[in-house]
Amino acid sequence: MRGWTAALVALGVFATFPLFLGQYWLHTAIVGLFYIMMASSWNLLAGFTGQVSFAHAAFAGIGAYTSGILAAKFGLPPLLGLVIGVAIAALLGLALGALCIRMGGIYLSLTTLGFSEILRIIVVNEYEFTRGTMGLTVPPFWGQYSKTVSFYILLAAVALVLWLIHRILGSDLGTSFRAVQNDEGAAASMGIPVIRVRVPAFVITGAMAGLAGSLYGHYLLLITPHILSLDLMFLVLAMTVIGGIGTFIGPIVGALFLEALSEYIRRYGEFHVLIFGLVALVVARFAPEGIVGLLSRWLGARLGRAA
Amino acid sequence: MSDFLLYLTNGLVIGVIYALSALGVALIVGMMNVVNFAHGELYVLAGYFSALFAQALGLHPAIAMVLGALSIFVFGLVIERLLIRPTYGNDMYSLIVTFILSIVLQNAYLLIFGPYPQKPPNLITGATDVFGLFMYGNQRLMGFVLGVVVIAAFFLLLKRTWFGRVVQAVSTDREVAALMGVNPERVNLLGFGLGCALAGAAGVILTPIFPVTPSIGVGVSLTAFVVVVLGGMGSFLGCLVGGVLLGVVENLGSAYISSAYKQLFSFVILIVVLFVRPAGLFGRRQT
Repeated sequence: MRGWTAALVALGVFATFPLFLGQYWLHTAIVGLFYIMMASSWNLLAGFTGQVSFAHAAFAGIGAYTSGILAAKFGLPPLLGLVIGVAIAALLGLALGALCIRMGGIYLSLTTLGFSEILRIIVVNEYEFTRGTMGLTVPPFWGQYSKTVSFYILLAAVALVLWLIHRILGSDLGTSFRAVQNDEGAAASMGIPVIRVRVPAFVITGAMAGLAGSLYGHYLLLITPHILSLDLMFLVLAMTVIGGIGTFIGPIVGALFLEALSEYIRRYGEFHVLIFGLVALVVARFAPEGIVGLLSRWLGARLGRAA
Repeated sequence: MSDFLLYLTNGLVIGVIYALSALGVALIVGMMNVVNFAHGELYVLAGYFSALFAQALGLHPAIAMVLGALSIFVFGLVIERLLIRPTYGNDMYSLIVTFILSIVLQNAYLLIFGPYPQKPPNLITGATDVFGLFMYGNQRLMGFVLGVVVIAAFFLLLKRTWFGRVVQAVSTDREVAALMGVNPERVNLLGFGLGCALAGAAGVILTPIFPVTPSIGVGVSLTAFVVVVLGGMGSFLGCLVGGVLLGVVENLGSAYISSAYKQLFSFVILIVVLFVRPAGLFGRRQT
């Protein structure tokens, strides 16, 4: 129950953002919401199911480009395009999951990497459809473009995604995710169809990333191949790792913290990726539980109970 | 016909260097089950160093190349000690750590060396008439020869020296090797350094032909991974065959099918191999 109260309070606090944040910081908050969705869903795949996928950004890109192309070239209303974008992303998640069905560890990650790069190369080269690196202009959700509206739409999506992740983690499927992550052999001997756990994991997280991507695209009004790139993938990974991989709030904390931080660092130059990388290295090496882990240990020690 | 032979030769030359680069990855994967995502960045660093040594220090290109590769060996030792050692046994972590490392290095290069391509001066200039069929750049031929020499040296090291035996033992079965008195930490350190040095060697050989920029590391890494998977994880011979095969396929493909999609061929091959025959051409099953 305490968790729910905290979540509702947080949601309430966030809901007030458009009232006092200026346009610039509201934009940062919206981008932060995008990354919360990306990091949390990647965490579900990598942190809770043990599949380190590098294709996550690609799924976001698929969602964004599908929805964007349908809206820009075919005049489809963005909401419909969004649904289709999520569906396509889920389908590709199915394909990737099926491709990786018998692989684990290294092979799986390499496959996702190859998959992601294939998609990126296709998007860059198929200029007629995607406008390549020049970027595809897309219409906003409703007729009038408004940061406030976009913020609330993304906030609702984030709440939905996080609620879904919470439900999954508490369910049988979530338990089998964690079993597979911990020890595939043991899980299989317990009757968990390891292979069949991989596919839902990819489909669900792929769909979530697709949702995030579509929403982001319609907010930014311009989609470029950057959204499919390893650079974005790295940010998502860094946010999850620094926040605390394998925890529920880790990715949320990581996403918000790093997004805000990158805006501060941007004043001095485009160093934020390098700095995040260094921090992520240090965290991965010395504090694998991330910020959340460190905080809970510190709090535990402070309050005098065992961490 | 002579066009075809030209593409084929290109494929062979670059294939040999692909094989060399892949050997570096295969060595580390075989010995400690770590996929070094930063492999391409080490190749690039070697290129930068050899350019630096040749231009800033005025050293002869050959010396600059050797020093460049050696620097990468040392750098590899440092990386292993600081970053890789704690991740043993946890595959996910070594993936994440080396991936982060590759991004850090990429950005560091941009900051330190700038975005423009760098290369050391060529060892040889001019072109030779190959079998009377076409003219081919001497530097490329030199690259081919150097690649073959380094690969041969590596295999000699592997088969004829004590260190090579230890590497093979650890690659086959770590625990038994340890039981037999092999010091796993020392071997890991040197093995990782050697793997990085191979990446560095590939870097110094190819950089005079293809100048390095901060962002090409990813492509180099991915190509190396494809070759290792294609040849079969754990098989060095597979790297040779896979490397040359990939080089030829890529060049012929980009010449006759589409050059924009050149990178795509290697990824498609990667996925097909992983799906159809994950053990690759010569690999043994992963335990």
